[in-house]
Amino acid sequence: MKKKSSIFTSQKFIVLLVVIVLFTFFSIVSPNFRQYSTMMSILNYSYYIVLMSIGVTFPLITGGVDLSIGTGLICYSLAGGYLITQKGWPVAAGLLVTVLLGVAIGVFNGVLVAFMDLPPFLTTLCTCMITRGLGSVFSKGLGISWPAANEAGGWFRSIFRITTANNTMIPIGFVLMVIIVALMAFVLNHTRIGRYTIAIGSNKEATRLSGVNVKFYHTMAYVISGFFAGLAAVAYSAVFATVQPGTGAGFELEAIGGAIIGGVSAAGGVGSVEGSFIGVFVICLLKTGLPFIGLQANWQQIITGLVLIGAVMVDIIKKKRVEVH
Amino acid sequence: MGDVILTMKDIDKSFPGVHALDHVNFEVKRGEVHALMGENGAGKSTLMKVLTGIYTKDSGTITYEGKETEFHNTREAQDAGVVIVHQELNMLGHLTVAQNIFIGREFKTGIRIDDKKMNDEAKKLFDRLHIDIDPTETMSNLTVGKQQMCEIAKAISHEAKVIIFDEPSAALTEAEIEELFKIIRDLRKQNLGIVYISHRMDEIKVITDRVTVMRDGTYVGTLITNECTKDDIINMMVGRVIYEDPKTESAVPENAPVVLKVEHLHAGKMVQDVSFELRKGEILGFSGLMGAGRTETARAIFGADPKESGDIYINGQKVTINNPQDAVKCGIGYLSEDRKRYGIVVQKTVAENSTMACLENYMSGLFINKKAEKKVAEEYVESLATKTPSVEQLVVNLSGGNQQKVVIAKWLINDCDILIFDEPTRGIDVGAKNEIYKLMSRLADEGKSIIMISSEMTEILRMSDRIVVMCEGRKTGEVKIEEATQEVIMNLATRDIN
Amino acid sequence: MEKIKQHPIVKKLGFNRIVLCAVLILMYILFSLTSKGFAGLPRILSALNYAYFLGFLSLGVTFVIATGGIDFSIGPVMFCAALVSGFCLTSHGMPVVLCLVISILVGFLFGCFNGYLVAYWTVPPFIVSMASMNIAKGLASVFTKTQSVSWPQAAEAAGWFRKIVKVGNFPVGLVIFIVAAVICSLLLNNTRAGRYILSLGSNKEAVRLSGVNVRKWEMLAYVICGTLVGIAAIFYVAAYTTVQPGYGDQYNNEAIAGCVMGGTSMAGGLASIGGTVIGVFIISLLQEGILAIGINKNYQLVITGLIVIVAVYADVVARRRKN
Repeated sequence: MKKKSSIFTSQKFIVLLVVIVLFTFFSIVSPNFRQYSTMMSILNYSYYIVLMSIGVTFPLITGGVDLSIGTGLICYSLAGGYLITQKGWPVAAGLLVTVLLGVAIGVFNGVLVAFMDLPPFLTTLCTCMITRGLGSVFSKGLGISWPAANEAGGWFRSIFRITTANNTMIPIGFVLMVIIVALMAFVLNHTRIGRYTIAIGSNKEATRLSGVNVKFYHTMAYVISGFFAGLAAVAYSAVFATVQPGTGAGFELEAIGGAIIGGVSAAGGVGSVEGSFIGVFVICLLKTGLPFIGLQANWQQIITGLVLIGAVMVDIIKKKRVEVH
Repeated sequence: MGDVILTMKDIDKSFPGVHALDHVNFEVKRGEVHALMGENGAGKSTLMKVLTGIYTKDSGTITYEGKETEFHNTREAQDAGVVIVHQELNMLGHLTVAQNIFIGREFKTGIRIDDKKMNDEAKKLFDRLHIDIDPTETMSNLTVGKQQMCEIAKAISHEAKVIIFDEPSAALTEAEIEELFKIIRDLRKQNLGIVYISHRMDEIKVITDRVTVMRDGTYVGTLITNECTKDDIINMMVGRVIYEDPKTESAVPENAPVVLKVEHLHAGKMVQDVSFELRKGEILGFSGLMGAGRTETARAIFGADPKESGDIYINGQKVTINNPQDAVKCGIGYLSEDRKRYGIVVQKTVAENSTMACLENYMSGLFINKKAEKKVAEEYVESLATKTPSVEQLVVNLSGGNQQKVVIAKWLINDCDILIFDEPTRGIDVGAKNEIYKLMSRLADEGKSIIMISSEMTEILRMSDRIVVMCEGRKTGEVKIEEATQEVIMNLATRDIN
Repeated sequence: MEKIKQHPIVKKLGFNRIVLCAVLILMYILFSLTSKGFAGLPRILSALNYAYFLGFLSLGVTFVIATGGIDFSIGPVMFCAALVSGFCLTSHGMPVVLCLVISILVGFLFGCFNGYLVAYWTVPPFIVSMASMNIAKGLASVFTKTQSVSWPQAAEAAGWFRKIVKVGNFPVGLVIFIVAAVICSLLLNNTRAGRYILSLGSNKEAVRLSGVNVRKWEMLAYVICGTLVGIAAIFYVAAYTTVQPGYGDQYNNEAIAGCVMGGTSMAGGLASIGGTVIGVFIISLLQEGILAIGINKNYQLVITGLIVIVAVYADVVARRRKN
């Protein structure tokens, strides 16, 4: 019988080591990288990916996937920004709409997958395209700038970052992320929604036979993913000056890649919120770190792709080994 | 033994073409372990499925705790206290033991699932059963035996009054069976009624109080275990039915060459040290009860599943078979028991299925020579008398017997000399069965060598020249057709394992 | 209705395909009525330009979907092929012919990569797609240093390759595309590769137990797809001028839409090249029509997305009814 794996051999721990090694490596090679401001910008640009990654962990654990989060994020941000800048809505209302749109798309995905039995990757690929189109429609194809930090209504930008009088930044966003991760880890491990998410990914039919309303809980996984894409849209709007329609494709890979690197199994049933959280930083570090060692930022895309395949292959090899024993 | 808790009287159930249960009677008392026995297909599982509401009975009455009852689904049965512990387990491997036991009815404080309480409750259940399982262990880390214990715990947590064990010991080790028996004795002491379905004669003698025997969907009788012998039970199981022209002597000459020789084959738990020889023109019957490892042996020989060790010789030459491609090259064809999953491609036509194994012979240049393909398919449709409007018909539209013939055609077209028929007549009606039998005899006469795996005694005795009997992954005997009787075979197939 | 379906001619052509043709014609009439000047040749030629590259993508992905898999890296891979080969042409001065070969080669290599991972490593196709989508984008950007690439115009000496799309007003591309479709149809229906690809899409285990090397053939489907994507890139650059790195995803959905609308089942085992061709024409006409009517072209993304969902749902329902 397999002994319970110790914390030091768990994937989370190994990935954490990878993060530390990467960080140390970049810091040693590039003096600019170890600046406080660099750290801050790594964190700033990580929030929206972290949030997407937390959300997408849920559909991934059910054995599905949500590819619509990347373009969705841009779409929600454009819609919210449009209402604030063009229609004069208060910022709070715009933020609310941003998040609610995410929830709406999540419901749409969930119903198609859980109630109508459509394949998740195709369904969410379609919503990926739909949200991309809608985003451009809202903004009439133009970029939208949410209020800047020093403008009226720019208060929301300090949700994630406070700049003090002597111009040092305090990354309260990171604290926020830790709190959200703790919260969602609780949801995954200690509530029905989480429990049944894992159960569906483990054996959907057995879960159904145990009298669980599988369709509802399956839908909820996508709703959570959509909700977090909405939150990610808020984080994105708060960090970037302008939101451009037509972008966002590829964000989902960073989030999904982070989750899978962090130990979510592409076959479903296995995964943790805190693992996804750590996994994302592998990708964020690569993204910000590579230019510092003289490589183009686009290398990150290639490396992320390869790392993703590598992570899944490790998963497959592990499973094969278990089957043999 | 207490009063009767459950009575099933005159239960009748028909499926299209099959009279599955013919006025069957069965009863369970509080505090008794009641064995339900019979050959494969005798109707034991169907009876239990009628009881727990998976099937609806056509007629008859079920009386439970003094009231006439009918459950409409397993949940209703569960809530009333009638629970099945299935052979194949419905478990969620990624969750813990306690989480599995209480899935769908978790304890909560607010929105938080109270895992601690669930663990405590699970612990209490295990204590009651005197088993030592950590409720916080992940389910997939447990052995099959332990998983089964969890299923039992889950059953008891439903406040069960009647527990049905469907071949519980099939996947267990000796030590685990001991533990299972301890639990069952405990449950008996707690005045539960227990139904125990098993093929293992020794277990029946050890654990049960009464035995009810079924045969061909009918009730044969009920005996008190202490007052009967193993032979009594076997006689009731096989009955005195006269079988259609059983073979009396082998048609294969003593000196016929050995075409296939398997030595010390090991492949997982279900294939342990299996050796046998197959002669030219012979039909070698593989008999045994469900889960004896016959299909697994066939699949290992064919390379469909990996094997651990063992040698295979074809016409005296040692061959390496690592995958089905190798086997097909060696001239072996395998007809699976599950045609739909492993035999045919339903969305393809008869012709396309027929040439699946040797399409390279029907090419002209880069392209498939559809004319030649059609011609050969038609040839075999005719010679096997397959009923199909044309060879361009999709196989999905054919009846079971005719689908089987398409699979046979596939291997004949590939010119296979060794054919493995795994339950060749399962799900096929009587008329078509006879045709398949004639066909097999004809193939053997033509010099093909056939391994026939069958759970039907009639089939084994009618077709085989020689019979290999397996039990729990081991070959327990080899019987010449001249010496074969149902009793001999059944004895080998249910051999006491010590 | 049933009577019409059973008519021999209808059966031969396929009821689905007839309906699709009708939709295509209706759409054309509708657009011609609502938008002035739509009926003319320029619009048709413009729609065809779109249909060529999309058609090759769609033909390619038909093979993959026939195995029961998916490949949504095709759009970015097409762009990657166009950018890499274009960069060789414009910045390294390689001969045009060689660059066209490079384009096909890039597609082919991506096909090998995807197919190998799916067939031999059993990596889920959607993960492979996602990864190679980003690898393709990254590779293209790295290779071109994030610069867009402009292929030579028809008037230039090196612009002769644009003749594969049209000479004068004669749509050469249409002829090539139809020939390619016929070859694909032969490949799918009349060769061993096609037979095994369709069969393993329907029941992989039964095909494996017939002694067929299913991994090899499954991989081949992705390789065929990749190669066709490489060809699609040629038609893209022959019809349009500039290729931007970092894009191409929107064509995934349109290509899959064309394929699924044409009657290819997402569950695998059923595929129709003829259907795919008509599906592609419908998508191209839709694209052109939306432009002509003057609706925001972004609606097209939304509409194709919805079309795929409806088409796949129809397939799910049809399969459920059969069981």
